[in-house]
Amino acid sequence: MDTLRKDTVITIMRALSELMQENKQYLIELDSVMGDGDLGLTMERAFGAGYAEIANDADTDIGKLLMKAGLAMARVAPSTMGTLVATGFMRGGKALAGKGEISAADLTAFFQAFVGGIMERGKAKPGEKTIIDSMHPAAEALAAAGDIDIRTAMEKALEAAEVGLEASKEMVARHGRVAYYGEQSKGKQDPGATVGVLIFRGFCSIWN
Amino acid sequence: MKKFLNKPERFVDEMIQGIVSAHPSQVTCVAEELRCLVKAGPRRAGKVGLATGGGSGHLPLFLGYVGQGMLDGCSVGGVFQSPSAEQMLNVTKAIDTGAGVLYIYGNYGGDILNFEMAAEMASMEGVTVDSLVASDDVASAPRGEEGKRRGVAGIFFVYKVAGAKADELASLEDVKRVAAKAAANVRTVGVALTPCIVPEVGKPTFTIGEDEMEVGMGIHGEPGIRRGKLRPADEVVDEMMGALLEDLPFQEGDEVSVLINGLGGTAREELYIVYRRAHLILKERGITVYHVYVGEFATSMEMAGFSVSVLRLDSELKELIARPASTPFFVQQQLLV
Repeated sequence: MDTLRKDTVITIMRALSELMQENKQYLIELDSVMGDGDLGLTMERAFGAGYAEIANDADTDIGKLLMKAGLAMARVAPSTMGTLVATGFMRGGKALAGKGEISAADLTAFFQAFVGGIMERGKAKPGEKTIIDSMHPAAEALAAAGDIDIRTAMEKALEAAEVGLEASKEMVARHGRVAYYGEQSKGKQDPGATVGVLIFRGFCSIWN
Repeated sequence: MKKFLNKPERFVDEMIQGIVSAHPSQVTCVAEELRCLVKAGPRRAGKVGLATGGGSGHLPLFLGYVGQGMLDGCSVGGVFQSPSAEQMLNVTKAIDTGAGVLYIYGNYGGDILNFEMAAEMASMEGVTVDSLVASDDVASAPRGEEGKRRGVAGIFFVYKVAGAKADELASLEDVKRVAAKAAANVRTVGVALTPCIVPEVGKPTFTIGEDEMEVGMGIHGEPGIRRGKLRPADEVVDEMMGALLEDLPFQEGDEVSVLINGLGGTAREELYIVYRRAHLILKERGITVYHVYVGEFATSMEMAGFSVSVLRLDSELKELIARPASTPFFVQQQLLV
């Protein structure tokens, strides 16, 4: 059974922070259509701080490291999306408390807790054009992947996230500033769901 | 925009600097952060900490109730904006004496998101936090959907009883119980005559006709239940009290405390004209008034208008309302019970 060790988890966090940096302008543009346009800055700040927080941490408890990353994100990015993503890492980390390495089953637990935390904190469910609409299908795909290697499972999850993002374009927004646009939000790409895809893409990038 | 300010973006910080300069023996800032305000002086071991938070532009809400017999701390947001989770976390850590902290705040999405987050962060750092969300505004959602109602001036009563209970060194569970009892027994209805101007926006958030009023408008200018021609005060109060009293419902034989709250731009004289009518209505219905508060308790910048809050009392709530309190914005001697 293959597992991810602490150094790989830190590499993943670095990859995520770099990916958010690369996509800063893209997210700002997406968010400017119907939101306040700060999402790119928020995500760059959040993931940058999350990585910096644990990059040189001697703690061997991966769950604790991810919780600390989440707390750091919450501190630097107090916007709604910043808080939601931070909650995801805090809850996901909590689910892995005490683990020195993580298996495919652990990753499933991490993302289930991650998505569950966001749903609870944001009072949102699938189908409301949010980050949930890419991350929930991805977490489900992980759970359904069963006993396969981590890389294949994560690639299936990324694929499900991309399909979810595509499907969310036709949804009507119910949360945040974009909800004021109601039906007009149909056909537009949701910035939050885009962040959800980037999270899985950044994760998978360590194998390329 | 005609306001006494320097720069709109300095509005909140300069306001807090003024408050801290004026009342140094009562309030102070923590975590090198102007917008994390706590009660000055030593903390009593074993006392449950009480924290609130919310946007600026509502003085005395929220920070005005930090002081003796009321709250221990408050996180302050920009005008009509939620404070961050981290601000609330800083306040929480500063006021915890080991007995836990109770958050009391209004039912608004941003505040809920950030304060739930703060509670979770605090618990990771070993502080027990419980929360109570006030939702007293009858006009913001129908009966049966109380959970969707906004928190407005009635939260004053929740602060008052929770503060008095915490002063007895009661447990977190017990303090929350009385706070929840007050929240469940208070109802508020408001009416507005003019909009207000958020300094960084510089123009009114909505328009309302010279001869019009809006019944049920929220303290950020959220739409009310009815916009119509301004009527004589008695008729306006009749309509509002009708909606308010039916909601709980308040009944003959009840004993209540009443809060007539000016929204920022309405003269005290008018507030008493309002109370005169409210008093008659309560008397007619056989409802006994124990104590009346008239003044500004929860404003919306310079909005003209008022709200009426009625709290149904039992002997426990009555005794807690009667206790003394002293904050920069609210002072009360022990009342006769």
